[in-house]
Amino acid sequence: MNASALDVSIVGPALVAGLLVLSTHVPLGRHVLQRGIIFIDLAIAQVAGLGAIAAQLFAEEWGAIGTQTIAVGAALLAALLLDRSEKRWPEIQEALIGALFVVAASAGLLLLAGNPHGAEHLKELLVGQILWVSPSALLVTFAAYVAVLIAALILRHRLGTVGFYVLFAICVTASVQLVGIYLVFASLILPALAVRHLRGARGLAWGYGIGLAGYASGILLSAVVDLPTGAVIVCTMAIMALLGAAATRIGRGKSAATS
Amino acid sequence: MIMKRNFILLLWLTALSTPSANAALNVFACEPEWAALAQELGGDRVTVYSATTAMQDAHRIEARPSLIAKLRQADLAVCTGAELEVGWMPMLQRQAGNARVQPGRSGYFEAAAAVDRLDVPSQLDRSMGDVHAGGNPHVHTDPRRIATIADALAQRLAILDSANASFYAQRQEVFAQRWRQATREWTARAAPLRNVRVVSHHRDWVYLFDWLGLQDAGTLEPKPGLPPTASHLADLKQALAKSPARMILRAPFEEARPSEWLARETGARTVMLPYTVGGTPGARDLFGLFDDTIARLLEAAK
Repeated sequence: MNASALDVSIVGPALVAGLLVLSTHVPLGRHVLQRGIIFIDLAIAQVAGLGAIAAQLFAEEWGAIGTQTIAVGAALLAALLLDRSEKRWPEIQEALIGALFVVAASAGLLLLAGNPHGAEHLKELLVGQILWVSPSALLVTFAAYVAVLIAALILRHRLGTVGFYVLFAICVTASVQLVGIYLVFASLILPALAVRHLRGARGLAWGYGIGLAGYASGILLSAVVDLPTGAVIVCTMAIMALLGAAATRIGRGKSAATS
Repeated sequence: MIMKRNFILLLWLTALSTPSANAALNVFACEPEWAALAQELGGDRVTVYSATTAMQDAHRIEARPSLIAKLRQADLAVCTGAELEVGWMPMLQRQAGNARVQPGRSGYFEAAAAVDRLDVPSQLDRSMGDVHAGGNPHVHTDPRRIATIADALAQRLAILDSANASFYAQRQEVFAQRWRQATREWTARAAPLRNVRVVSHHRDWVYLFDWLGLQDAGTLEPKPGLPPTASHLADLKQALAKSPARMILRAPFEEARPSEWLARETGARTVMLPYTVGGTPGARDLFGLFDDTIARLLEAAK
């Protein structure tokens, strides 16, 4: 038991980071699931990581902003590529995403073969730790998300596949650095999976609820039992998704029976 | 319920942290060896917390809320320094927001800074691998250097908790005496190890080599921090065919497979050393750490 670890100033920023990630990833996750391209976040994040490694190796003098720009650029390029491939070969889109993931990951390893400091940079990009979030990182992510949400609202139905991939790439590049790849995947897929049978605003509301419950209980539990926060949240999120799926299905069964 | 318990705990901690002769100094140790040393020197006047265990590689650790909480309460952070904790300690210091333990303050003690270091690069080049500008940070594998660090740490405890200054000085004197005696015995017992050729997984043991006169026959890692590659292992095997090594050292947190492979290929024996306090059942404290290290080395050298 570690009651002092429950201090709001310790776990508060982590919860804010979680809420930020959920704000975009719950709706995005519903799209991803619908399209059957669940591993796209891994692929996009890995390509962003590859871009960051290349930036570190070949343009070190550009600094942190340069690295970020190239990472986002690489992610956007991958997004456009995936948009083309979905239009041409929709039936093998998931397989292409998987292929892109392993190739980007391996290319990164090769670039890093002689440079363990590069590995640290890749780690910063792929395994962000939710407890280490700084106020400035939260602000940057918030700004990126607001831009994405505004673009999504303005374009709405004109967004199309290209728009979806582009916004997705920006969101994932930002969120992976904040909370790490496992939590991004969990935030994207688990709530969406739990509420897959619910339509519209109801599905979205339940998805947010499940995500929030997953983050809050995971952060609390990790403080109480003193275990790595990111991994605990992924597990509590899975439990909340199971509970949420059961609750909404029972609710639906009842309403179907009474009507 | 939790809120209430939290509040009571807070009161209790506040009571503890008010300056009085009985107040325990909160020590946050980055690694188990410094937790053990702080306990030796501070006795019941310190409350020691270790951020890592012997089974963790202190180069990288996962973030837990308790780490931030413990550093926030700490009066003194005792770390290795020389960039060993560069991947997590700066983040932890920022997140804890505790002015007492920031770099440069008397509440932040770097053990490696108190001793002379080996492997200090004459020039820093990223192609050299995970090289630390401050030299090799694994200073605690040499008991002579631990003696120097103990002296510096006792002085630091006395500065931070001046009411107990004479207490720390006295404990340091007792410790130094026992440690000198033990080091003499270890050195005598380890005499057969002089000039024995050993391979290591990572350059964890250069200070141990420096102390016992073991000969460095190469590392499984091609460069510090990089996993073994096929061509490097082939080179190593070839070099060992010319001048064989007696044993292959690794720490408890390092993968066994590379050293087992090399043992099969060359006939050298693999030895897992405790590396730090808690690394093996025998390494219960700093004395046990070196008792067990020497015993395991002698066993493998037979």
